[in-house]
Amino acid sequence: MNSIKDFLTQDHRRCDEIFALMEEKANANLEDAKEITQEFVTDMEHHFQMEEKVMFAEFEQKTGMTQGPTAMMRHEHEQMRGLMAQLLSSLEEGNKDKFMGTSETLMILLQQHNMKEEQMLYPMAQQHLSAEAERIVDMMQSIVVE
Amino acid sequence: MDFNGLSIDQAPPISAPLRFFLTAPLFAILAGFLVLFSDPEILRTRFALESIAVTHTITIGFFGFVMLGALTQMLPVLAGVKIPNIEKVAKYTHLSLVFGLVFFILAFIDDNKLFYLLAMVGLGVGFLTLISFIALSMQDVKNFTPTVKNMAISLFFAFTSVLLGLMLLGEYVSQEIGSIHMFLANVHSVWGIFGFAGILLIGVAFQVLPMFYVAPSFKEFCLSKVAKIISAGLMLWLILNLFIPSYALVAKIWIATFFWAFATTAWLKLNKRKRKVSDITIWYWRVASISLSTGSFFWIFDEYFDSQYTVLVGLFFGLGFLLSIMMGMLYKIIPFLVWFHLNGAGYMSIPTMNEMIDKRLSKLQFFMFLFSFGGFVFSFFMPQFLWFFALSFIISMVILEYNIVTCALLYAKIKKTKPDFDMSAFK
Repeated sequence: MNSIKDFLTQDHRRCDEIFALMEEKANANLEDAKEITQEFVTDMEHHFQMEEKVMFAEFEQKTGMTQGPTAMMRHEHEQMRGLMAQLLSSLEEGNKDKFMGTSETLMILLQQHNMKEEQMLYPMAQQHLSAEAERIVDMMQSIVVE
Repeated sequence: MDFNGLSIDQAPPISAPLRFFLTAPLFAILAGFLVLFSDPEILRTRFALESIAVTHTITIGFFGFVMLGALTQMLPVLAGVKIPNIEKVAKYTHLSLVFGLVFFILAFIDDNKLFYLLAMVGLGVGFLTLISFIALSMQDVKNFTPTVKNMAISLFFAFTSVLLGLMLLGEYVSQEIGSIHMFLANVHSVWGIFGFAGILLIGVAFQVLPMFYVAPSFKEFCLSKVAKIISAGLMLWLILNLFIPSYALVAKIWIATFFWAFATTAWLKLNKRKRKVSDITIWYWRVASISLSTGSFFWIFDEYFDSQYTVLVGLFFGLGFLLSIMMGMLYKIIPFLVWFHLNGAGYMSIPTMNEMIDKRLSKLQFFMFLFSFGGFVFSFFMPQFLWFFALSFIISMVILEYNIVTCALLYAKIKKTKPDFDMSAFK
């Protein structure tokens, strides 16, 4: 059985790898990084929505905590969305310095966000939602990103 | 259940770590001047008063300040605990430490009893209060990750090393240097460098190499055992020195082997990192790995030469390993903290991390440092050139301070403007 924690953690690692590729391409030639940046942003958005629409919602319903950890994680998702918008706009402007600077900030924010989720939130979610883990993972897999 | 770890309020105010980070290079500059105006021949002996002054200006003034500042920042993020009253605690312990260290330096230059006493009070109050607050907050840790475990172990060595340091200072106050003074000084320095700084930095590496560079994680054995093995080695070293000193080398080889293994592993992890883009923080890690390996060998080698080369060993461990990693990490952490706190306060148009510090300046700083480090090693054999490398070291540290101040000023400047979003609803 795929646990919520393992499923989402693996998705973090996958996004990390795309990030590294994106940055490498952008550093070589910003023009060549358009496609992979779009892929990265889309995959990140997919991950955020799997959490926000499915896992966080289930967690909040089960525990009754809407202002707890999930609220904080949602806030950090917003911060990262802001940075990803900046990545895309620096691509449009052809501003490599801005792109690399933004990706640097995004990387650290992303990593400390992942750490909080993997070390605190996911284990908590696994604990509260273990009976429904399979259903929740299925729902996350089949989500349509808006 | 405690959710503090996931709250933005959890991050300590930026002033807590930043005041330590801003002070550290100032003491390094001061250390440079002390070297410049000292007799190079005297600095070759480890126990000369002037050598003690120079060493501690770096070990307390730079290493101690950076590590304590970083702990106030990292512990809440990595371990999900809040250090009580951290803003005030950081402010007053920082003051106390600065006061204590200034008198420490004056005391050893002037061999002045009153100054020794003032140093003892300032450093004692500063270190013990801050270490106690950090240790107390650790009681709430729910999830001891390898990094947090290393932090806890390193705090133990920090605490014992500080206590020993205070005892040694006490002997200078009373001007009665006891028969075991040298022995205590050895334990104080070996536990301080390897136990406090070494184990802490290994723990930090576990976290930041995968995090900042998308390098592969360290193996489970390394994560869970290395800090314990090194601690056992440090204990064994103490016991052997007490009872059968002729066998103490065994423990030294033990400790050195594991530090060397760590240095090699960190090097290999960096080779395998997914994030290929290179920056000076990577170069600093490289210098640290090479220096730690070289230092470990020299430390053993020194044993066969009647400790003639201890100063050289200190240079490799201190400047090459510890100072390099810390500077590399400062270049990552400070711009991020500025961005993080401003963004959290609702400011949207913030310069990117790369725009905060001029890359050319950080490169210049790195090369000036590397040049000085090599020069110091060279001057060990040719002391007449020491003044020149002391100067280049001072310049390198002035640039470092300038780079940090630029970030702090930028933070202050933007903070004075009106935020794009009112974040009070989130508090």
